Amino acid sequence: MAEDAFEAVVAGHHAEIRRYLLRLTARTSDADDLSQETFLRAFRAYGSLPAGANVRAWLFAIATNLCRNHFRAQKRRRLAYAAVAFDPPSGEAGWADGLALADEAKARIEEVIAGLPVKQRLAFIMRRIHDLDYAAIGASLRCSEESARAHVFQALRKIRRGLEGLVPVETEPQP
Amino acid sequence: MSHAHPVCREIEPDLLAVAVGEAAPVAAERVEGHVARCGACREELRSYRAIDGLVGTLRRSPLPGDDATLARAKLESRLADLRSRLVGFGIFPSPLGPILIARSELGVSLVRYLGGRGSMASTIRRLLGEEAIEDRAATEALHAELMEYLEGRRTRLDWPLDLRRARSDFQRRVLEVTAQLPYGAVASYGGIARRIGAPSAARPVAQALRWNPLPIVIPCHRVIGSSGGLVGYAGKKIELKQRLLTIEGVLTEPARRDFRVRREAMYALHTGETEYCLPTCGSLQSSPLSELMLFGSRERAEAAGLAPCTTCRPDLHPLPA
Repeated sequence: MAEDAFEAVVAGHHAEIRRYLLRLTARTSDADDLSQETFLRAFRAYGSLPAGANVRAWLFAIATNLCRNHFRAQKRRRLAYAAVAFDPPSGEAGWADGLALADEAKARIEEVIAGLPVKQRLAFIMRRIHDLDYAAIGASLRCSEESARAHVFQALRKIRRGLEGLVPVETEPQP
Repeated sequence: MSHAHPVCREIEPDLLAVAVGEAAPVAAERVEGHVARCGACREELRSYRAIDGLVGTLRRSPLPGDDATLARAKLESRLADLRSRLVGFGIFPSPLGPILIARSELGVSLVRYLGGRGSMASTIRRLLGEEAIEDRAATEALHAELMEYLEGRRTRLDWPLDLRRARSDFQRRVLEVTAQLPYGAVASYGGIARRIGAPSAARPVAQALRWNPLPIVIPCHRVIGSSGGLVGYAGKKIELKQRLLTIEGVLTEPARRDFRVRREAMYALHTGETEYCLPTCGSLQSSPLSELMLFGSRERAEAAGLAPCTTCRPDLHPLPA
């Protein structure tokens, strides 16, 4: 078992994968649990990973998959609470609240991103925050590169619409 | 919005690509040409660029709770635990039938003759639990050495062993003592019992060896009954025991539904001695087998670090081959 090599995988990627999950879940406890599960799964499968595989993209795919399952379970729980007419328990404050963003536009972007459909949100964060290529994002979301790109662009359009009137744009005299 | 005009609508995806720096040169040129003419799209491009800039600052600004130190420490400890439980195994052909070899972080933990019963997958799960992964690379070298051993080209398997599968401290002690029996030697169940300081425990010793997780490696085939009969091996595989002993130069003769080691045709070592003797030396003939270790040849006795007895001189009067 290539254990030393896996130590290097943890050292090289754990912080980033946890940051990715933190941004998605907005809860440190969820980011801790999901990042741990990501690496435990990766450890079990590491031996069968082909030589020369893109380890970082592979870890993002595992983390993305776990995160989506987590969102689904969360949704089920919310629905179950709603069914028995309970208020959902208030979790930790969303990280956007806790973060003192000087710029209103930046805060609005966070808001819009948080409200995006899951696939667009995942694709956008992977592409624009973590700089993954569309092949890796497609592999994570089990879709084509073109769809991955479409998700990112769709997210951009929604952010643009969400920022209408906020983004500082010098208006030019119309010709 | 700049989407009113068909040309603007058509160029919009390229415009986005340009804004985020992903456009191909041709598309970039097209967008450049278009925004030079279309003010609305020029504004659109500026907006998208401004957004991209903001996203860039988002990427660089710290996230609350973004200290992975504690999570990393927890992960390392879970991984250490998983590593210690994780077992890699391989299944290989052998002259004794398909054989499973498994190893953990600590050493070889299981060698198993695989019978035909049940599915392979369920057998493996039963034997190794859930934390088992097929890992031929980690077990291939072990298999190669085992084959050399079974072909008589190797006399030692110096493998690190993982005895955590031992069912009790008693069994662990039995296994540890049995592991020290030299190649080409036999001792009795009673002899092993004496060595672990429980001289009356011959039967529990036999039971402990019946569940030996590492046959061949821990040579329980070198342990026989007090009257020289092979008694039992891996269930009902007595022929296998006879075969393994033959490979090591221990000759046996058929007995009733069993095989028997001919004590009178073997060199003997009395407990506590460092010299090996002819079976007729002194009072050896009347000593119980539990006090002796028997060797099939002088060569084997001397390979185990023993000198010939200076009284009976097995070196001058060897037994007929």
